[in-house]
Amino acid sequence: MITAPPPEDLLLAELDSALMSTSDDLAPEPDAAQLRALFEEQALPFMDQLYAAGMRMTRNPADASDLVQETYVKAFAAFRQFQQGTNLKAWLYRILTNTFINTYRKKQRDPYQGTIDELEDWQMGGAESATRTSRSNRSAEAEAIDHLPDSAVKDALQLVPEDFRMAVYFADVEGFSYQEIADIMKSPVGTVMSRLHRGRRLLRELLADHAREMGMTVPAPVTKKGAKR
Amino acid sequence: MTEYDCDKAKSELEEFLHGELCREDAADIREHMAGCADCAGEHHVGVVLTEAVQRACRESAPEDLRSTVLARLRALQASH
Repeated sequence: MITAPPPEDLLLAELDSALMSTSDDLAPEPDAAQLRALFEEQALPFMDQLYAAGMRMTRNPADASDLVQETYVKAFAAFRQFQQGTNLKAWLYRILTNTFINTYRKKQRDPYQGTIDELEDWQMGGAESATRTSRSNRSAEAEAIDHLPDSAVKDALQLVPEDFRMAVYFADVEGFSYQEIADIMKSPVGTVMSRLHRGRRLLRELLADHAREMGMTVPAPVTKKGAKR
Repeated sequence: MTEYDCDKAKSELEEFLHGELCREDAADIREHMAGCADCAGEHHVGVVLTEAVQRACRESAPEDLRSTVLARLRALQASH
């Protein structure tokens, strides 16, 4: 007798209850079709986000697409090991980051890789000055950053060394906790904090430079006039 | 009242921004900023910077990426 396959949502419901049971009973292993359906339902909604991260990593759409594709293939192959109820998004980002490091970073050969964390601040352009600006300069700076076109912010991000850039991306765009970023980047939390801090400072400097080039008033020296209108 | 100065506030601003401070420390820095325009301004720059990065990083995956991924997953499943 041939029975029609049940609709997918029914399969998912069965699968969910199978996964949720905590007993050691021999809950039936989900079959391949069920597993794929579950994977598609849970993992595919992250595609835009993973692609956006891939764009920041690889800097071009073709490589970002390939990277996302490889990430999904690897994630699917390992999906039986993924523990339901834990952070799927962080798990996908870890695979994305690994894949990027193993395939694309080799290709790009960033000369700074591996040594960038050891660079002193003065070697990075002395970004410390950002915190020494006066109050009126700060509101001018905030206003300038707020008015910069997205393309300028993207360009500036691409100038930030990769590990710093990705720490900023994970924290500021994805909202991952420092611990989650540490897991994704396989680095100690202290290293993550330092990368984040330096990445943001560098970005801030670059954006201020850009705003000045566009003729916005982001005074380098202290001025008397406040920027509040 | 515990001693709380601008140096301490500035050193913790980024963690505050990212929601990494415990509740007490977050309350301390908030209280400090309520009375310190300088630190409040520095925090504001941080918030604006975060928002600018969020705006700039918004992307949509290309149309064909989704179908390519689906096709590859199906092919993988069939080969198992």
